[in-house]
Amino acid sequence: MTIVQHEHAPENCPKCWAKLATPLFCETCQHMLESSQTLSPFRALGIPPTYELNAMALRKRLLALSRRLHPDFHANADPATQGLALRNSAELNSAFEVLSDDVRRADWLVKSLAGPSEEEERSMPSAFLAEVLEWNEAIEAARRDPEDGTLRAALDELERKLDDERRRTMAEVARMLSPLPPARSETLRSIRKHLNAVRYIDRARHEISELALRRSSATPC
Amino acid sequence: MPFLELDVLNNAPQPILGIDLGTTYSLAALWRDGRPVVLRPKGSRDGRIPSVLHFPEEGGVVVGARARALALEHPESTLFSVKRFMGRGLADVREDLERVPFRATESNTGLVSFHVQGRAWTPQELSARILRHVWEIASEALGEPAPKRAVITVPAYFDDAQRQATRDAAKLAGLEALRILNEPTAASLAYGLDRRKQGTVAVYDFGGGTFDVSILSIEEGVFRVLATAGDTHLGGDDVDRELVSLSLAQSAGELGPEARADPAVQQGLRLAAERCKIELTTAMEADLAFLAPHEGLRLRRRILRAELERAIEPLLARTLDACRRAFADARLMPAEIDEVVLVGGSTRMPCVRATVQRFFGKKPHTELDPDEVVALGAAVQGHVLSGGTRELLLLDVTPLSLGLETLGGAVSKIIQRNTPVPSQATEPFTTYAENQTGIDFNVVQGERELARDCRSLGRFKLSGLPPMPAGLARVAVRFALDADGILTVTAKEESTGKEASIDVRPMHGLSDAEVEGMLQASYAHAREDFEASRLANLKVELDVMLRAAEAHYRDAGLDRETVAEIREAIEAARRARESADLAAAQKARDELERATLPLAAALMDAVAKGALAGKRLDEV
Repeated sequence: MTIVQHEHAPENCPKCWAKLATPLFCETCQHMLESSQTLSPFRALGIPPTYELNAMALRKRLLALSRRLHPDFHANADPATQGLALRNSAELNSAFEVLSDDVRRADWLVKSLAGPSEEEERSMPSAFLAEVLEWNEAIEAARRDPEDGTLRAALDELERKLDDERRRTMAEVARMLSPLPPARSETLRSIRKHLNAVRYIDRARHEISELALRRSSATPC
Repeated sequence: MPFLELDVLNNAPQPILGIDLGTTYSLAALWRDGRPVVLRPKGSRDGRIPSVLHFPEEGGVVVGARARALALEHPESTLFSVKRFMGRGLADVREDLERVPFRATESNTGLVSFHVQGRAWTPQELSARILRHVWEIASEALGEPAPKRAVITVPAYFDDAQRQATRDAAKLAGLEALRILNEPTAASLAYGLDRRKQGTVAVYDFGGGTFDVSILSIEEGVFRVLATAGDTHLGGDDVDRELVSLSLAQSAGELGPEARADPAVQQGLRLAAERCKIELTTAMEADLAFLAPHEGLRLRRRILRAELERAIEPLLARTLDACRRAFADARLMPAEIDEVVLVGGSTRMPCVRATVQRFFGKKPHTELDPDEVVALGAAVQGHVLSGGTRELLLLDVTPLSLGLETLGGAVSKIIQRNTPVPSQATEPFTTYAENQTGIDFNVVQGERELARDCRSLGRFKLSGLPPMPAGLARVAVRFALDADGILTVTAKEESTGKEASIDVRPMHGLSDAEVEGMLQASYAHAREDFEASRLANLKVELDVMLRAAEAHYRDAGLDRETVAEIREAIEAARRARESADLAAAQKARDELERATLPLAAALMDAVAKGALAGKRLDEV
């Protein structure tokens, strides 16, 4: 399964035959369209499938299409149109959620290029493993004794390190995904391993912030 | 071409009412002449309608300010804070119930219900009565029937069951809830009407019963919620309760345990605490004074503002916890916020303002009345939905994650919290036993890892699967959230096309059939209900008028003839008060009003002038 095969949505508007940027809406004749069941998030937003994206352009695209599709603007329409607005708007929002998140976007691209899923490839890059044990220990220690100052300082230090590590790993992912590697290539397995590492980092960062939240109930008044 | 004309007519935007259905107060607003306006009760500067219901023994329902005035005398038949019980089971609200003077039970379908006038009332029915009253007041203010289509606001942190309960309440009130809108989002609309505004906004909404915080980005007229967090059990009610504990802690001798358990005493203390809290907004100290109506019990405690502030520190800390969560989810820091907006009556307290200012490092906006801003925003959204403008658009999120219970009781999250709505997601599931022909699904909402710690929204079963080895069936489960944040789940076995779907009807909700049944019953009894309520309202009004007239008519310096006439009207009113004749009561009321006109004038002129000015009759 490759990206090309994903694109079975109509290329032209069934109403005015204009070329479609997104199968959700014809920007030429302003008609809402019935979209196919599985829609690539890139197709939904009408942008080319690349890993590197301009965040602002993506957001502007979401806003522009929302102005056309959102159910709020079809509240007085017939039930069929209302249903279509709801479905297409949901499709648009889900697509934006995938594309605006670097990990989910990379994950989607790997899957669409028939790369391994996270169930099929569970390992992380080997350089990463030694550090993971050390990080886990620091978090565990801080969890046991949240008031200990040294442990807290170590946690702050770890948070910085995790941020750096995440940036480095995602830069590596970006490099491997630009341009997109061939379908089923070994590069995809390597990307998957990197993404597994980032998932670990995100979980660790989440736990650290949860610990911080629990601590921070300081006196407000 | 007559059709053409008709078409044009149909396209004229039909106005849509905005209703803030609050824990302590409710109110309506409508878009008129290019801006949202609050629809106030006649002769009142305050648009707020107390969300209080009184059920007189003889039948009917009294709602709003009049019901509130009766809370002290009839603690067991005057219901308030109904919103806290919407979409909840008895187990969820045990604590809430300990704090209110009225009693509730659980129906066989798991719904909380309250017992007054010899029957059970669900929170949905009670909220419907409040909505109906709000609609009537809106109609009165407009001088014509208000729109039946409405945008109704709910706390952003309301879950699916609570949202559906609100939608059902609207239906029972004869209204169509065109949109269930999140309160902080509504507030941002009222503030950000000026579409040149751009930037990141935080809304801190500390209301009567709930706390919400939402972070939004405003760009080209699109209000996009980035994250929301909150606590549906944190509000001004809790502040009042802290005040009550504070005053009782130092007056152990005056009110024994028996008196404290008395519903009338509880009600009185609650109202006294609320008054004291409001005074402490401007004064540095105030009395919490309480006199039980019949027992001769009294309590008077001087409360310093500093004492109150210390007592509610833990509450404010909880609001800041929610703020931190919202920031973490939005991946922003407080310093990145351009503007902070305060919503909800509790944000009038100086220490709340100071806390917010310190946390966000910015002076919060307070230009709009924090009690009215949500209704105003709902009216703006009503204007958008009516087709009145395409300049504004709200993109909201779901506050809580949604998922399915998996084998072993864990939760597989399918839609993460703070995902924009409407939204949809599909997850593949499979069978775990050989030749398994059915799968049970438990739909849950919440952030915890285990299903039993989340709220179960409902269970459904996909049956009739063809016998297959374990793990071979391919079941696609689709979650679809509509723009109100309400969920529909469908499951489909892909090889056979076998489908099962549920409109997730929450455990603590009403079924469509129940709503329909209640609606039918209300149509059947519409006339009696209307007359009973009208009579109940008249009697309350008569009581107030009688009390005022009797207290003053002898010594207001009126001539003998007028005094005699008033006395006669009083007698007639007393008789009518005891009868069940609506027409007679109405006549007596009008007669009493006419006869006491000179009295009112005299009172207004005389010493009472200062005391009465600016107060409504039911406040005298």
